[in-house]
Amino acid sequence: MAAKQNASGSAESDQSSLAEQQTSRSFNRSVRVAEKERRKTEAEDPFVPALKYFSDVEAGTPLHGNDEFERNLVLVEKVAYARGLSPEAISIMLEFAMSLRMGTSPCVRILKCLIPATVVPQEAVVRAVVWLGVGKIPISTQILFIKWVLTVFDMIDSKEQLRAVYGFIFSFVTEENLCPFICHLLYLLTRKESVRVFRVRKLLELQSKLGRQPFLLHLLSLYKVFCPELVTLSISSRMRSGFRNHNSPWKSSLIAVQKRNGSLLASSDSLPLTIKDKPNSRKRKYGHLELPVLNSLVNKQAQAESPFSRKLVPLVQLSSFTQLLENIHRIELPAQMGSLLGSSLALQYLDCVQDESALLRLNFWLGYALHEEFLFCGDGRASQNSEEALQFLDKLLSTQHFLQEAFSSSEAFLYKFLSVWDGSLLRPQILSLLSNIPVVPSSQIGRLLFEPLMQLFFTSSLFFKCGLMECLNNMLLKWLTWHSVYALEDDLDISLNSHTSINMTLSGFKDSVMELVHFVGRLASVGLQLEGSHSLLLSFILDFYETVCDTFLKYGLPLVVMPPPGVFYPALFSPDPISVDRLAFIMYRYKVNLTSAKSQEKVTEQAFHISRQTFREFNNYVVIMVNCLWNSKMFHPGMGVQLGEELLLKSNVPQYSTSFDLVHHPAFLSYAVDFHLRCWPGRKDVDLDSIKHSKPWSWYLEYLYSQGYDGLKQFVPAL
Amino acid sequence: MSSLKPFSKLPGLNTANILLVESEEQFQQSLADALVEETSVTVNVRLAKSLPLPLENEESRPRIDLVVFIINLTSELSFQSADASLKYLDPGYFLGKVCFLVTNARNASVPTERLDTVRKLAASLHCPLLFAEDQTPDGVTNATERLLTILKVAAGLVPLATALYLSNLTQCTVPLDIDQPSFD
Repeated sequence: MAAKQNASGSAESDQSSLAEQQTSRSFNRSVRVAEKERRKTEAEDPFVPALKYFSDVEAGTPLHGNDEFERNLVLVEKVAYARGLSPEAISIMLEFAMSLRMGTSPCVRILKCLIPATVVPQEAVVRAVVWLGVGKIPISTQILFIKWVLTVFDMIDSKEQLRAVYGFIFSFVTEENLCPFICHLLYLLTRKESVRVFRVRKLLELQSKLGRQPFLLHLLSLYKVFCPELVTLSISSRMRSGFRNHNSPWKSSLIAVQKRNGSLLASSDSLPLTIKDKPNSRKRKYGHLELPVLNSLVNKQAQAESPFSRKLVPLVQLSSFTQLLENIHRIELPAQMGSLLGSSLALQYLDCVQDESALLRLNFWLGYALHEEFLFCGDGRASQNSEEALQFLDKLLSTQHFLQEAFSSSEAFLYKFLSVWDGSLLRPQILSLLSNIPVVPSSQIGRLLFEPLMQLFFTSSLFFKCGLMECLNNMLLKWLTWHSVYALEDDLDISLNSHTSINMTLSGFKDSVMELVHFVGRLASVGLQLEGSHSLLLSFILDFYETVCDTFLKYGLPLVVMPPPGVFYPALFSPDPISVDRLAFIMYRYKVNLTSAKSQEKVTEQAFHISRQTFREFNNYVVIMVNCLWNSKMFHPGMGVQLGEELLLKSNVPQYSTSFDLVHHPAFLSYAVDFHLRCWPGRKDVDLDSIKHSKPWSWYLEYLYSQGYDGLKQFVPAL
Repeated sequence: MSSLKPFSKLPGLNTANILLVESEEQFQQSLADALVEETSVTVNVRLAKSLPLPLENEESRPRIDLVVFIINLTSELSFQSADASLKYLDPGYFLGKVCFLVTNARNASVPTERLDTVRKLAASLHCPLLFAEDQTPDGVTNATERLLTILKVAAGLVPLATALYLSNLTQCTVPLDIDQPSFD
């Protein structure tokens, strides 16, 4: 194998790959057995002689006017598009095409119809790669072939031999047109052993020639993860995600074939860890959003033969947490990182090992999947597999909940998606994903989040407004929770996300939180105004402020932000008693937080400083509430709400200053009447003012508390 | 050449009039069908392929409260037509009574430059830019709801809000390159 890595001549590698073909045949016996079954039923099929024709045809057979060739090829194409090709058929056709036995023209046509039904035998791919080195194939066809390999990559039964010719494949990067595709293929094949100084040097050399191409950067960033000492280049952690090698024609045919076969095949194996039982794992490369099944790429026999390699245990063979712990130092990650999302053990592994390369690969896979499926859709695909999209996003969400953090690729995807979102497509999932994003630096938050969200918020329905409020509340909750978990006590730096390299200072974090709270304040004020202070929206807004008022005591963040008047007054004058009660509760919590902050400030001297402005705002609000609800001094000068005396007289409201006290407040009027009836059952005419006398007033308050108005119950004695 | 004026006619009682301009006339019709379902106000929908509107109906035409340009991003023509129609609108319309509705923004065949051009156009005119999923019934319903939200404000049916106020909050901004945010 070592000899082969350096092989540049076609003859040598041709031979060795032939030898390998022989040995690896036995490895895939189980696949073959299954195939044999199918072949029996196809015995009378004219497809078999057609394949035989392609395997036996002499080199140099003329193509023009060759009816036999044409007939056989049409037959193969028909089968390929209908059912997909068996592994043998793939081998034969690929060998025929790449060897150019009948010239270059059939090559493209055959490559286009190479749609595997089950797996692609790796020896066929290795042989074909070897044919690339012969150098007779036109460059466009070479690109087509590499694209095909990328498309079916996940279906290649084992990648060991392909990895063995890593060096050989690497030699093609110098070919300018092939380079992006080769880089993608190398990205998928790279392991720690493959990273060598001379390869890094070659890539850097190419980069200086071609510029900072994303495909080179991606490969280099992977190299950097494996061997940081070899790659000194600084690479942005948030690069444009994904290689953009869309392979639409194959993908759509593959979807069709896979779907058709999927319904025919019964489930034959059920692994305890996998989320799907279907034997033919559909992979995302074919435009599918179903998660791939966790497969092992370690070939057991091959491993036994090479005693040099460290013994690796594929994740798929583990079935319990204890086994995971025993083998944690020698876990072999699956070929398809997407399959990790479906397995709880794999997630546990990811979580505790903090394997950078695994996360990088998973992020890469995810970014690619999200981009392709949601941002670069083919025609009508969005509507076609919305069910799959839904399940995929739900899976992603449950993974993020399990890991308790978001993937950076899903974050990058969201920023892009928000800017083209209509506000309804997959709304619950998108909003949940959004609420998971890690803290955004305050310099970026406006551009990335607030601008698109503001446009959506003000043009969308009430329900979207409520949904977004809930989402922003959850986002704030998560940020605060992160803070309380990760904040280091002595130095105020916090590393918010262990997986990304964003480290944030406390003041930076405070700025972001403040930006978010102010932004929601703006949305809430104007939203309430546009929706006529709708009580449903108000309820969601008060949810948010219930989080905000407790930032200091619950989450230890020395930050107190008061609600804007646009939220305070609609809540205070709301015709719905629950909103008033919740406002009272929120003001009570503000008071508790502020007093404890103040006392702590006195004790520790240095802790932090809450601005006098905040205290002033709080006091002002409390005075207004008390004047309004208790003292019946509604429109007194110095209050927040001021109206001219003449105007109030003109309104013909008797005793206008009492109209929002706890007795006359529209929200509590019915309680006042009910209380009056209970208190003085004999009285014919209702005189609510009599409740204001000191004795009935305290009874009335007790009565309100007994009705479940706990906010008032806490707020009133605290004054 | 006559231009459409926003305040040349009196508004009707509890009525909102919307003009949908789309050169391809694909999404228009389904949107119009959904818009007239609205019950809280009387919604009149006018359809046009492009501006200027013909002179002969000038008298009977009600005051148009909101002009919506529907742009299908997969077609260059759709954008050009909308762009050419803009000059037949009175400047008064650009105080919150014009909006752009873009379809197929997530399609792979759309060159990114085209979306950027539409964004720049909407931003330079201070108009909101909405995205719609015209392929699914849910998408159509949602687009209708959003247009109604803007229309009600533009027609003066929402207390305390004016078209200019809302458009100030919702106008399109040209994002810098989101692909490479410089976090580090």
